[in-house]
Amino acid sequence: MSSLRGDSVEPGRIGVLSLGFWNFYTVTMYALDVKNFSKCYDQTLAVDNISLEIPQGEFFGLLGRNGAGKSTLINCTTGISTPTSGVIEVFGNDVVTEYREARKKIGLCPQEFNVDIFASVEDILWYMGGFFGMKRDIRKKRSDALLAQLDLESHRQKEFRHLSGGLKRRVMIARAMIHDPELLILDEPTAGVDVELRHELWKYLRLINQQGKTIVFTSHYLEEVEHLCTRIAIINHGKIVALDTKENLMKNGDSLEKKYLEITKK
Amino acid sequence: MNLIGLHTFVAKEISRFLRVFIQSLVSPWINAFLYIFIFGVVVGTRIDTIAGVKYIDFVLPGILMMNLISASFSQSSSSLYFQRFARHIEEILVSPLSYVEMVVGYVVGALARALVVGIGVYVIAIIFSAATMAHVLLFLFYSIAISIMFALVGLIIGLWADNFEQLFIFNTFVITPLIFLGGMFNSVTMLPENIQTIARLNPFFYFVDGLRYSMIGIRESNPWVGFGIIVILLVSLLIIVWILFKRGWRIRT
Repeated sequence: MSSLRGDSVEPGRIGVLSLGFWNFYTVTMYALDVKNFSKCYDQTLAVDNISLEIPQGEFFGLLGRNGAGKSTLINCTTGISTPTSGVIEVFGNDVVTEYREARKKIGLCPQEFNVDIFASVEDILWYMGGFFGMKRDIRKKRSDALLAQLDLESHRQKEFRHLSGGLKRRVMIARAMIHDPELLILDEPTAGVDVELRHELWKYLRLINQQGKTIVFTSHYLEEVEHLCTRIAIINHGKIVALDTKENLMKNGDSLEKKYLEITKK
Repeated sequence: MNLIGLHTFVAKEISRFLRVFIQSLVSPWINAFLYIFIFGVVVGTRIDTIAGVKYIDFVLPGILMMNLISASFSQSSSSLYFQRFARHIEEILVSPLSYVEMVVGYVVGALARALVVGIGVYVIAIIFSAATMAHVLLFLFYSIAISIMFALVGLIIGLWADNFEQLFIFNTFVITPLIFLGGMFNSVTMLPENIQTIARLNPFFYFVDGLRYSMIGIRESNPWVGFGIIVILLVSLLIIVWILFKRGWRIRT
């Protein structure tokens, strides 16, 4: 009887899967691979030499107080900022040298509404899809599908500035999803959102995660991170101070909030 | 190259000025109409010919030039500044558009606005029988090259400005005085001799004179000097803008 054994089949690294005398070499790509990344703003070190690997398909939580370095990491990953040192790769593409390929794979829903407030919902999605090089017919189909999925159809002609806070959040998520990215980065997507919509968003995010999307999620509502994420990193003063599975972080029966406060107060 | 992305960028820039068409198009047309009416009908009929042509024919190239410059400068500077101000430039930064494509997008958008304004001004001039054309290719070169040049200047100002005041300061204190002193309404030979020398140091004099030569065939300077100044300025500005965008100066933190 042939034996099946897997040796170090770790995502992003070469693993060996032996089936009898047949050896299969497997490489599972990291959705996000951060190596010795630092970022300085003038004389301030915002992120200090962090390394982080997020396998494809993971629902990953990124926690930290305001100014801890979460948004800096996100900004450098997406192209809003440039890293001072280190390497950030998205599905194997360096975000600086292979930025086109890297950015095609990322969808960003930022903390703030960085959108043309006079543009209609439909136009916001249309232009964003165009920037990502999507052909008109594909863009139209994708836009219609997202507007339906996020219950925005009746608001498609409305200018962004005339929408409620919850609708604005949904538009931001739709915009992030327009080019069907493999890695979705959500920077506090539920800030200022009512409970009902928050639960709807959780449902939607879980669904797309099950469909294979990798999600990096930041929030100050720790119960939703606990609810959604499988692995969590805590950033404090620009360094990763904890990185583990949700179960391991909460293994002594502690809540994530208690653990978080314990770690960040050190 | 991300051609669909670039096309979308330009379409968005065009939609931006069409959204405020009264301010971006109708307003300069009304200004041009008033200039042409006052100088062509009211004042022009009482002024003898200047350099052998009707006064309105003499000033029209300056009016056209001023509108081309103003339209292209306003489009690129305000578009970039407002995108930075409202942070929706991040939509472009996270997309797979290169900084070269960004620059081309802004410049083509500004050129489109300048040309629409310019065509409108020319049509108004035709209505007043003031539009002439001596050298079509030269006219196109001057119109397009100067629009591109001031689109690039607008990008530098759009990057540099930290507030609305700084955004408009360049137009008020540099562009408008230099174009008025660059022979827009008068022949440079009408000025006192020592002022003439200073006037000839003003690059706007060569822009107006070159466009005037292309329209009415009369010139006060060597057209090759104007051509050379335009090419040198255009190349220098392109290099500066290219470096600023490549470094992400005031765009990427």
